[in-house]
This record gives sequence, C-alpha cells and structure tokens, in this order.
Amino acid sequence: MNYLLNISPIVASMLVVLLPFVAFIIQAILGKKSTSGIFSLVAILLSTILSGVFVFAEVWNGKPLHADYTWFTIGEKTFNIGILLNNMTVLMQFIVCIIALPVHIYSKSYLKGDSGLHRYWMYLSLFCFAMLGLTISKNLLVMYIFWELVGFASYLLIGFWFTKESAVQANKKAFLINRIGDLGFLIGLAILFSTFGTLDLVEIVGKDGLFFQSIIDINSGLITAAGICFFLGAMAKSAQFPLHLWLPDAMEGPTSVSSLIHAATMVAAGVFLLSSIFPLFNGTVLLIIAIIGTITAITSAFFAVAQYDIKKVLAFSTISQLGYMMVAVGIGAWDAAMFHLATHAFFKCLLFLSAGAVIHEMAHLKAHTNLDFDPQDLRNMGGLRQYMPKTFVMMAIASLALAGFPLTSGFLSKDAIVISAFEWAIQQGGLTIVIPIVLVIVSILTAFYIGRLIFKAFFGTLRFDVGDKVHLHEAPKTMLIPMAFLAVCSLFIVFSWNPFSYANAAILNGLVVNYTFPEIHALHTIIPIVLTATALISWVIGYSWYVKGKYPLNANSSWIDFAQNQFDMNEWMMRAFVNPTFKIGKISFWFDKYIVDGIVNGSAYITRQVSALITWIDKYIVDGIVNGVASLAYELGNALRTFQNGRLQSYLGLTMTVVLIGIIYLILK
Amino acid sequence: MITLTHFLVVSACIFCIGLYTVLAKRNAIMILVGIELMINAAILNFVAFSKYDKINYGGQVFALFAIVLAAASVAVGLAIILNVYRHYKTINPDNITDLRD
Repeated sequence: MNYLLNISPIVASMLVVLLPFVAFIIQAILGKKSTSGIFSLVAILLSTILSGVFVFAEVWNGKPLHADYTWFTIGEKTFNIGILLNNMTVLMQFIVCIIALPVHIYSKSYLKGDSGLHRYWMYLSLFCFAMLGLTISKNLLVMYIFWELVGFASYLLIGFWFTKESAVQANKKAFLINRIGDLGFLIGLAILFSTFGTLDLVEIVGKDGLFFQSIIDINSGLITAAGICFFLGAMAKSAQFPLHLWLPDAMEGPTSVSSLIHAATMVAAGVFLLSSIFPLFNGTVLLIIAIIGTITAITSAFFAVAQYDIKKVLAFSTISQLGYMMVAVGIGAWDAAMFHLATHAFFKCLLFLSAGAVIHEMAHLKAHTNLDFDPQDLRNMGGLRQYMPKTFVMMAIASLALAGFPLTSGFLSKDAIVISAFEWAIQQGGLTIVIPIVLVIVSILTAFYIGRLIFKAFFGTLRFDVGDKVHLHEAPKTMLIPMAFLAVCSLFIVFSWNPFSYANAAILNGLVVNYTFPEIHALHTIIPIVLTATALISWVIGYSWYVKGKYPLNANSSWIDFAQNQFDMNEWMMRAFVNPTFKIGKISFWFDKYIVDGIVNGSAYITRQVSALITWIDKYIVDGIVNGVASLAYELGNALRTFQNGRLQSYLGLTMTVVLIGIIYLILK
Repeated sequence: MITLTHFLVVSACIFCIGLYTVLAKRNAIMILVGIELMINAAILNFVAFSKYDKINYGGQVFALFAIVLAAASVAVGLAIILNVYRHYKTINPDNITDLRD
C-alpha cells in the first residue's frame, strides 16, 4: 500500500495520459455493446485523482521534473519521448482533467439514448488522451503529434452527428483550417531543428537552455520566421482572426463536446503552446501576436452581439476571450494568459453546459408540443428563469465571471490582462495604447452580449403559448452536479483569497515571469472600477432593451446583419480561397486528364503502333526469311524426290545423262 | 579397206543398242541381254585396238578374259533374276521399286 502511494509524479503523469487511451481502446473493441461510457468515466476519474494528488500537488511550486525515453536515432541525433513537469504543464494537465471529468458526467445524461453513444465515449477518451499528452510533452515533435491527434479527435466529435450535412461541412472546415495552422507548426519545428538540432523544450527554452545562454540571436530573421510559424499554428488551434471561422461552425457537435473541446481545453492549446515556447518570440512576433489577439477580441465580440443561436454567442465569446489571452502573450504577460486560460476554462465550460441544459429542455419542449422551432435560437426562448432556476443561477455566475464582475474568477484574470496591457502600452508609448483601449471596449461588449443572452433566455416570458402543460423543468441531477462544481470553480476563492486583487493569485505566483514594464499602482484601482461600472451600465441598457422591450434599434439594420454574418467573412473566404481551390482542382483535373493522361496514352499509342510495325517485320521479314529458306529446301527436296522413284532404269538413265553432259562439256571445252 | 574407225562406229552402235535395251526394256532378261551387248561392244574395241600391239596381242587376250567374265556375270545375273522372280513374282523392273524413298 505504501508502495502504491509513492508513485513518482513522472509515472503518475504517464498514467494520467495513458488511462484515457486504455479506455479508448476498450471502448473501440467493445463497440456498440458498450454505451454506458463507464470505462471513459472511470479512466478520467482516475486520471483526475492521479493528476491532482500525485502530479499537481507534488510538482506545483516544487522542482521541475523531466524524464526522457529514447525514441529513435537519425544519424547522430537522438529523439526522446520526454515528460516535462513544471508549474505550467501540471497546471494545464490538471485543468484538462478537472474540466473533462464534469463534462464526462454531464454527457451521461445529456446524450442519453443517442444511437452513436459508443462512438461518443470512444472519441471523448481519445481526445482526453491526446490533450493530456499534449500538456506534458517535452519534445516538440511529440507535442506536434498530440496536437494533430487533438485536432483529429475534434474533427470526429464535431462530425459526431455525421448524418447532418451541416455537421459534415463544419468538421471538414475545422479540419482544413487547422491544417493551415499545423503546417505553420511543422515549419516552425523544421526551423527550430535546423537551427538548434534539437526539439527538446528544456534544451531550447529551459532555464539553462540555448536561449538563455544567448547563443542564438533572437532577433534573427529565421527565429522571427519560426515564431510567426508557431503563432500560425496557435492561431488556427486557438481560433484567432482570420482563422477563427471554424470555431462557430464547430458548434454543430454535441454541446458537451463544445464545452470541453471548443471552449475550455483544445482551443486553449494554442495559448499553452505559445506560453511554453515564450522565450522564442522576439519583439516583432510579440507585437504581431498582440495585434492579432486584439483584432480577434474586438471582431468576435462584435459578432457575438448579433448572434441569435445561443451556442454561436458563446462560440464568439470564446474566440474573443482567446483573443484576450493572445494579447496577454503578446505583451509578455503569459502568466496572465495562463491564468485567464484557467479561469476561462471553468466559466466557459459552465456557460456551455448551462446552454446545453437549456437546449436540452427546449428540444424536449419541441418534441412534446410538436411545434417546429430551432431549440438553439434565443428568439424562441424567454422566461426560462421560472422553469429552470438552478440553471439560471449557475449560468448567471458564469456570465458574471465572463463579464469580469468582482468576486468571480474572471474579474481577477481579465483585470490582470487589461492592467498589464495598459502598463505595457504606457511603457511602449505611441499607438500601442490602442490595444488596451480596445480591450476595454471588448470588455464592455462582452458584458453586453452575455447580458443579452441571459435576458433573452431567462427573463420575460416564453415566446410560445404552450398552454397549461409546460414541459420545461430543471435538468437532471447528473447534469446539475457537474455544473454546480464548475460554478464553484468560477468564484474568486478557488484562485485567490483576495477577491479584488490578482496579485495574490496562486497561478500568477506559480508562473514566474519577468515583466518588461513597470507596475503602475493607480491603474490597479481605476481599471477594475471602470470595467465593473461599464459592465453594470451595459446590463442596465440590455435589461431595458431586451426585458422591458424598449428596443431602440431597427432589428433589420444592415449593421446587425453584417455582424451576424461575421462581416461576410465566410463568403469572402469562399470566394478568395475555396472557389479558387476548386478552380485549381478543376484545372489540375483537366491537366491530368488531357495532358498527363494524354502523354501517357499517346506514348502508349505510339508504342502500340511501333510494336505493330515490329510484329509485321518479325512476322513477314524475319520469319519470312526463315520460312522461305525452309520452304525452299522443302520444295527443292520435293522436286528432287521424284528422281528417287526406285526404278533402276531411270537411275541408270539419269547417270547416263549426267555422264553424257560431262562428255559434252569436256568436248566443248 | 576396213579401218579402225569402222570398228569403232560398229562398236558404238552396238553399245547404244545395248544401252537402249538396258534403259527401255520391261524384262530383266532383256536387260541382261543389253548388258551383254554393251560388254561385246567393249570387247570389239579391245580387238580393234589390238592391231597396235602385234607382238603380245594384249587386246586379243584381254578380249578372251572379258568374254569369260561376261559369261560369269550373266550366270550371276540370271541367278539374281531367278531369285527376284521368286521374291516378287515378276521380272518387270518397273514393278520393283523398293529403292524408292
């Protein structure tokens, strides 16, 4: 027993990764026979316990650990499969576990009765395996493999209801856009390997790694290119503008999947990657990251305001929050990015699970009343507060956290980012001040759109007249308990004992970052007050607009349409990339069919003709000579055989004739 | 005056008659007779040319030898013909074509 309790963090973290994989294998072998998901549940439960007790508790604020196992050798370079356990990786692994566990439990009720349930558990375990592996990989190549696996699991889960055309389109889109990013990641790996000859995280960006020994000029063009390539990878995975287009469409998957993969964990992998290799980025790359993050945050917040689909609102909100994290990385405060990643994971997961509960009940209502409406459309909801009070409370907590209201976790992390951004911009000077100002505007928009969602869904009255028998009720307990757990985790107390200052947050203290900009104390008071006040004002406006019905804007204004359609970006991308690709495909097809095949068929035709000629020559000339000689001999023999007729007298006559000819010849000579 | 040429012409005539007999007759006995004629044409030549050897009369002697030999060969030939007849029940050489290919 003592032995069991003394597993080293390395072994424990390996078990954390491998348990879901075992569950995946078992689920794959059992197939349709096993729909309970018990293996996946047990695996993720054990993983969570192991990760919490034996990895996180051991390594957090302790000495970083790493282990290497030789994988293969090319020439003189040996590749290791390594495990890296430091504050950031164990934090990330623990977050993934602790988010995945409630989602697993929630899924049990949420997807009850679905015909593809056995596939669901299989894919979910595969995803957990890949994501957990990604977090603790020491070798960037191994991380890349997990990165791809994560994308693949996401592809499978988006297309979980693959009989739906839109789901198939969505998973194709997600996969293709992610390929662009993966390409960036791969090129980045190639550049790193050619520059350093190693892909080991510790060797490259560790405390005594290559970067800190200033062997490499960080401002060289090659390193800038590598940084941009890695950022491209992160852009696709973390849905940054303009590669964010796949994430709203990814909402075609089950809501539990959206909450785990497309809100809390996988999309954060980009931020995690950038934080892991942060020393690699020079000023240019960081500025690009910050700018892209800002654009992402503002555009998607703007799109979120105009969406009617409850999940799309949350999807754009996710993109917007990821933009925040990117800005944090860009200004050098990647600890703030990781902090926001952690808090965001909890409250965004909760938002999705609550939205899932609402959709679940709306779908039930639809089934019972035989009305035809979209259960995800906010316009069809209203007054749900009376029917689902517990869901309402929890979703409200998550919304407050998203808006950055005091006493919630979001308040701490968002303030950390915004304040750091202001400090950074003041130190940098010039136009960079635009970035924090935009972040404040995004914060106001965030408060507004999440308020709009809550007001439209939970306040007012139900849009339908369903008579006396209302089939709406609270979600089952197996869905509520995970949500309650996440709601608790959305409060400040989990992250910091001081609800008004992020300075005491354990995560920020655990990740040591040397800021390049000085701290400005006044901002630490002003910014939270401004953000909270503006959020409150936006809610008051939202309340009067959506609950009191004093909507001042024209609902059909072109701006709203424009925002709802994401500035027509999908169509633009269609025109700019998809259609030309099709055209290139058609041209290539034509080229292939008429030129390449033409050459092949032409040469085949020529060969056939030449060989026909050769056949003719062979048949009539070569064989002709042989046969001609043979038939000449035959004819000659045939002619001469008549002389050998067996008659003595003719033999004698012949002999005499020859003698006579001989005599005549002699005479005439 | 009978010169050597007259002998030779007569001898040639006899030889040709014999040759014709050998080639054309449908009876093995007649072929044998033809052979005798040709031998005799040759013997006649011996005798005719022996006027140039008046000391030893070599031609005359050789003619005597040839006559004896011809008689012997006729005997042998007749015996063969007899055996051929026993075997083939014919002495027409046209019907005996076993040497054919």
